[in-house]
Amino acid sequence: MSNDSVYKEVLLDHFHNPRNKGELDDMAMVRRGSNPRCGDEIEVGIACDNGVLETVRFRGRGCSICLASASMMTECTSGLKLQQARQLIVRLQQWFSNTNNEMPPNENLTALGIIRQHPARKKCVLLAWQALDEILDEIEDRSEASNP
Amino acid sequence: MEPVPRKSEVSRNPVAVDFEALRADFPIFATGQQPLHYLDSAASAQKPACVIESISQCYSHDYGPVHRGLYPLAESASEHYEASRRTIAHFINAARPEQIVFTRSATESINLVAQGWADQYLQPGDEIWVSQMEHHSNFLPWQRVCKNRDARLRIIPLDGEGLIDLEKSKGLFGKKSRLIAISQVSNVLGTINPIREIVAAARQQNIPVLVDAAQSVGHMPIDVQDLDCDFLAASAHKMCGPTGIGFLYGKSDRLAETEPLLLGGGMVDEVNIDSSSWAEIPARFEAGSPNLAGAVGFATAVDYLRSIGLRAIEQRVKDLTLLAYENLSSVGGIRLYGPGPGLDRSGILSFNIEGIHPHDVAHIAAEHGVAIRAGHHCCQPLMQHLGVSSTARASFNLYNNEQDIAALLAAILDAKRILGHQ
Repeated sequence: MSNDSVYKEVLLDHFHNPRNKGELDDMAMVRRGSNPRCGDEIEVGIACDNGVLETVRFRGRGCSICLASASMMTECTSGLKLQQARQLIVRLQQWFSNTNNEMPPNENLTALGIIRQHPARKKCVLLAWQALDEILDEIEDRSEASNP
Repeated sequence: MEPVPRKSEVSRNPVAVDFEALRADFPIFATGQQPLHYLDSAASAQKPACVIESISQCYSHDYGPVHRGLYPLAESASEHYEASRRTIAHFINAARPEQIVFTRSATESINLVAQGWADQYLQPGDEIWVSQMEHHSNFLPWQRVCKNRDARLRIIPLDGEGLIDLEKSKGLFGKKSRLIAISQVSNVLGTINPIREIVAAARQQNIPVLVDAAQSVGHMPIDVQDLDCDFLAASAHKMCGPTGIGFLYGKSDRLAETEPLLLGGGMVDEVNIDSSSWAEIPARFEAGSPNLAGAVGFATAVDYLRSIGLRAIEQRVKDLTLLAYENLSSVGGIRLYGPGPGLDRSGILSFNIEGIHPHDVAHIAAEHGVAIRAGHHCCQPLMQHLGVSSTARASFNLYNNEQDIAALLAAILDAKRILGHQ
């Protein structure tokens, strides 16, 4: 099998068997990302303890790439420090905007690389990540407000 | 300008046209990415070699400024530009060539009527009617002008087959109705609207009608005098012509009531410090250096379509669409939108497959060399009516064939195999 086929299998596995997908009622913070162009709607929720993302979960509807990417994100970011999660998000965004061709430092994300050839679907990949990015923004804002 | 002489439509017998041979007229099928099953003509049609060559010829041999010079090249440029206008006028049977205003697109044409015409006459409480199936191009300009003038934008609803429901459109032909703006063919459903009947009823109450003909001109014979509409808008690129040029047809008295959208060079009679006056129609609506090569390419596309025959093209595309409809109907979990079998429809077929996002269908289709569209097709109000955020859409033109439909079906089955619930 070519690398592309392997990567497709990885993405399909996440689509058919999404990790950490479910209700977000018990999550500390929830953010919604939507792409009105195609009707994708993803909600990302986190529980955080002592500066570490303890749980990252999502729910919603979208295309296979959007859902697979969200599923991969929950796996890759659970257990990361907030700052590390932020760095990973930035690297993924750079990778997809072609400002940094080096892969993000997490080999579990390698499969997403096949989507880089399809710029029209960049937003599908990034939707969940942007929602998580906004959660991190809010945590930062809160922490700045409490420690001016 | 002289009135356009009306010749009888020169059309070959539909049976006699060898559409398979016509594919060779389109270089993209030989030089582009292979295989190419191009089923996105409702977004933009492919171009025959004659259109491409006419544009090249214009720039290589005949290029000069239009209506701005006294030397031979400038004079011939002006003549080619006006000859193109006559060709378009003749094509839709406009009474006079000056009833054709060249614009960038059908979108610009509709905006010209919204801002240059409706905005002047609309009073608070007046109504503009559009249908639920309109493209944003024939929706947003009216939404804005209504908002600006405290007027009401009213919607002609659709029935279950995707046909407009005139019985549920109370007030459509009423005293407050100031304009009906409606597409002739839906870019999502393929519905063909009964424009003649709507215009006839509107005429009784003296209500003007604008026809968004972006999906109909070049796909079926159009006769604006027979339709009796006040305005009609279309683009060249959806009818095998170049991008960047379209036209607005208007009855002479309606165009006389319309203010130009753009002011500048070429559209004035006299300019003074305090006040100015506009040039004659249609020049007053065509400020800036005209798109000569676009107009030439547009006219060449029209000549090409006429040489095949509009009825033949229409029939061919309907046959292909029916075949696609039948083929796709056999797929489990598919939902086909728009008029069902037995009802008239054009060459546009939207669908969804249960549990599979249309973007994924289009993505997998692309891997089969099948180009289809997926999204809301600039018809969000229609998507709301259908209860979906997007659909996949296959659309057909004269260069499509049965193999394209077979490839589409194979792609859909593959999408189901890959992404269907396991």
